[in-house]
Amino acid sequence: MDVNGEDGAVVGALGSGDIRTCARIISRVERGDPGIVSLLRALYRAGGCSRVVGVTGPPGAGKSSLVSQLIRVWRKRGLNVAVLAVDPSSPFSGGAVLGDRLRMAEHSCDDRVFIRSMASRGQLGGLTKAAGDALTVLDAMPWDMVVVETVGVGQNETDIIRHAEVVVLVQTPMGGDDIQAAKAGINEIGDIYVVNKGDHPEANRTCRQLRDMITLGQHLNPDSSWTPPVIKTQSLLGEGVEELADQIECRFENLRTNPEVASRRARERVRHRTAEIIRDMLDRRLRSEDGQLVETVIDSVVARESDPYALAESLLATMTSRV
Amino acid sequence: MKRETDYGYALKSVYGPEDVAGFDYSRDLNDPGGYPYTRGYYPEGYRSRMWTQRMTAGLGTSVDANKVLKKYRDMGQVGGICVISDRVFSDCIDPDHPLGRREAGVLGWPGCSLLEFEEMMEDIPLTGQSITLLGSSAPSTLRLAYVVALAQKRGIDPSKIHGSVMESPFENYFGQTDVSPFDLNLKLFLDASEYVLRNKIRMRASIISQHFQESGGNSAQALAVNLSMVKEICGRLVNERGLDFDTTSLLPYELVSIGTRFFEEIAKMRALRRMYARMAREEFGAKTEKACQLLMAVHTSGRTMTYQQPLNNIARCAIQTLAGVIGGCSALDNATLDNAHSEPSALAARMSLNTQHIVAYESGAADVVDPLAGSYFVEALTNQVEEEGYKIYNEIQSMGGMVAALKRGFIQEMLSAEAAKKFREIDNKERLVVGVNHLVIPPEDDFEIPIQEVHSQDSEKIADRMAQWKPTRDQALLNATIAQLYADARKDDRFNLMPSIIEAVKAYATVGEVMGVIRKGRGLSYDPFEMIECPFTFE
Amino acid sequence: MLKGKGIKVIVSMIGLDGHTTGGEIVARVLRDAGFEVIYLGATQTPEMILQAAIQEDVDVIGISSHASNYLQIEYLVELLRKNGMADVPVICGGNIPKHVANQLKGRGVAEVFPPGSPSSDIVGYIVENARGARRRSA
Repeated sequence: MDVNGEDGAVVGALGSGDIRTCARIISRVERGDPGIVSLLRALYRAGGCSRVVGVTGPPGAGKSSLVSQLIRVWRKRGLNVAVLAVDPSSPFSGGAVLGDRLRMAEHSCDDRVFIRSMASRGQLGGLTKAAGDALTVLDAMPWDMVVVETVGVGQNETDIIRHAEVVVLVQTPMGGDDIQAAKAGINEIGDIYVVNKGDHPEANRTCRQLRDMITLGQHLNPDSSWTPPVIKTQSLLGEGVEELADQIECRFENLRTNPEVASRRARERVRHRTAEIIRDMLDRRLRSEDGQLVETVIDSVVARESDPYALAESLLATMTSRV
Repeated sequence: MKRETDYGYALKSVYGPEDVAGFDYSRDLNDPGGYPYTRGYYPEGYRSRMWTQRMTAGLGTSVDANKVLKKYRDMGQVGGICVISDRVFSDCIDPDHPLGRREAGVLGWPGCSLLEFEEMMEDIPLTGQSITLLGSSAPSTLRLAYVVALAQKRGIDPSKIHGSVMESPFENYFGQTDVSPFDLNLKLFLDASEYVLRNKIRMRASIISQHFQESGGNSAQALAVNLSMVKEICGRLVNERGLDFDTTSLLPYELVSIGTRFFEEIAKMRALRRMYARMAREEFGAKTEKACQLLMAVHTSGRTMTYQQPLNNIARCAIQTLAGVIGGCSALDNATLDNAHSEPSALAARMSLNTQHIVAYESGAADVVDPLAGSYFVEALTNQVEEEGYKIYNEIQSMGGMVAALKRGFIQEMLSAEAAKKFREIDNKERLVVGVNHLVIPPEDDFEIPIQEVHSQDSEKIADRMAQWKPTRDQALLNATIAQLYADARKDDRFNLMPSIIEAVKAYATVGEVMGVIRKGRGLSYDPFEMIECPFTFE
Repeated sequence: MLKGKGIKVIVSMIGLDGHTTGGEIVARVLRDAGFEVIYLGATQTPEMILQAAIQEDVDVIGISSHASNYLQIEYLVELLRKNGMADVPVICGGNIPKHVANQLKGRGVAEVFPPGSPSSDIVGYIVENARGARRRSA
């Protein structure tokens, strides 16, 4: 692939860890700047050296504080860390208050730590695509660890976390009903389970219940080489966080020694990413010239002289013929 | 324009007997001095005890604060002194900390060691007047230790001192943030509280709704939050520290924020006395009359003091002061007319104190106890705010009390939603504020008022002085007391750190050192900002 | 109302200022007007705010000030200038006396909003003057 001079300079700057360039490129990603595709292509090919960790869990589980403590441990181990804190919850106005950075304040003057907040702007292609692009940018930089943190409720967020190589699922101590509710997503995406607020009286019980459920579900897990561990943490005091960092390390090591599993997961990530990009492309086209086409025939669908299936098929045919 | 109470109940154009249906004088009000104390704690009201008229001091160096305190005395401030700390002391770091250097003495008194307290209190008696030291919750134990240490040095029995130096850990959630974690603040607050109660030191602790309401909470919420806070603290002192309720009831004092909604503010104070008395008797089984009485001081509202046309604030302050006095209070301090601009200027401070004097001596309001009792309107308002307050109180209790409700974010969300609502109401002119969104004049036509200068160059001076002074202390004594404090801080939650804090303070350990070592003993970093290292080494 | 769409704003207290009420309300007002608000909270040093501004690539920095520590604000403006971020306007709100407001403006603060300022003034000002707004029109 040919990389033009301008893109080449950016790839070089990012490769040497230029934070300002990184910040500006992520802004272009957020704006859905169509001119950035060639750069992202080059960055994807140049990247892949960071370890991408996803951290997710329900609102109020203490994810940001936990990530802050993880950064502390990683920094002690000499690692550079970038965090993408994604907040998909925006009210009707489209505005957002992003407070994750607040809980990671202790690292804000460390130039080996980069923290970026990202909100849903209703941008073209959606938040998942933008988060994927931002991770592509970060992954082409000399960060040892890249964390993508997001609230784990709903489809959109699960999609975001699928960009990560290793996923940490954070829970708070809870009662039986909540555990049942949490069960659905278990084993599907979590490599490591964390019960935060470990001083809570219910913490041990929650850990036990999670372990039981993991054991029960293990026969469904295509990856027999790894049983997700359950770790109790207290993010305020940093208790259990060393162990969490160790387990993340272990999982990466485990994937290295199980190339089949690793490759299956990598291919799954590429499939997921490609699907996102296709959706984004279609979305952009629909909002531009092809959108006009919709307008010309839409009334016939309303009048039930045609139907949305036929409309979709003809649109897709038009789009692909012009690619 | 909205015609409804601060907490959203519609106001009628006229009130009559139907609005107080079922009214029972002896059950609902009783005479002043009788349970449930709706009408106040003293049969003779202010005739038997005038409220403490005070102003808050503290700016620049300790020597400056000393001068201001003496000046207030000359201006007729009787009964007590009230000093507010700077942000450096409030955040438990020292002026020579990299962050302290820029702000020492800027917003208040830089009381980071016993030396500063001694300088501020030079020629000022510790007894015969109340000693009130304000700041944040985190350094409560230090402020108490200063008072005890200085009393011992002056050969005064600490039980002869009265006032208030401790602040509840809840403040951190009400827009008065310090950097200490809540659980540590709570533990130290309970330590200080237990210490004063067991040693019969007549130091009250501020467990107040003022900051909650000044941050935008409404009157009914303020009642619920105040009762819940007092219940939580007294409950913990009873259950965790083994004190009986009648003893713990000597601890809290409430600072009510009084705004311009005259009748509602009076109703709120009356309702609070009644609600507290019932809680004390029915929920805690209070045995004595005294244990059913919540000490209440008044702060006229700072948030109502407008930036625009600041002279209008004189009128607001007068209305609020009159409401606070009629509502019945033990002490009163005023927000000053320049509150939205700067720290109080001498003129603004005098104006506010004089407002109190005018209400006290010219208005006649101090001559008759609870003069609005029996007013259909005021009694209806008292019942309403109580009813609404109980709804919220019960909700907080159903969650497991104040701490549980805070940990769930309930209180924060309630406050933040109400603050946003209040802002919107003014923004949309549903509530009118003269000079701000109604009858506005161009800024250039506004009167100029004198502005208290803040001398930030003093910060460096204060910092340098501390840096030079630190090595002159008795290092052996300092190290020994610090080592003891560290050892004690590692013990369990209920082990009271007050005695070892007092010893360290007497050895001139600073707030940064004392709190740093406690933090370290409890698994936190020595410096809350992680910019400096712990200067002490431990086995 | 989507006036603030795509504009990223820091809202922060500065130095040891722990008065969070004003900042929280402004953050909420800006959010409702469609802005993306990076809320930094209390006890933020100028250095921390600078780093946040760089990493988050923000268009405006809003400082809520209730602790009279104006030197910190001046220091922030100077830091931004030294770090090539002078095009990010710093605006302040809070109980800042008029003469200090003028002094701050003389030292590079873009605007000072006194207590009681209508939200439309604040929103309007940011929409006009945010770095992103200028960037888009350029």
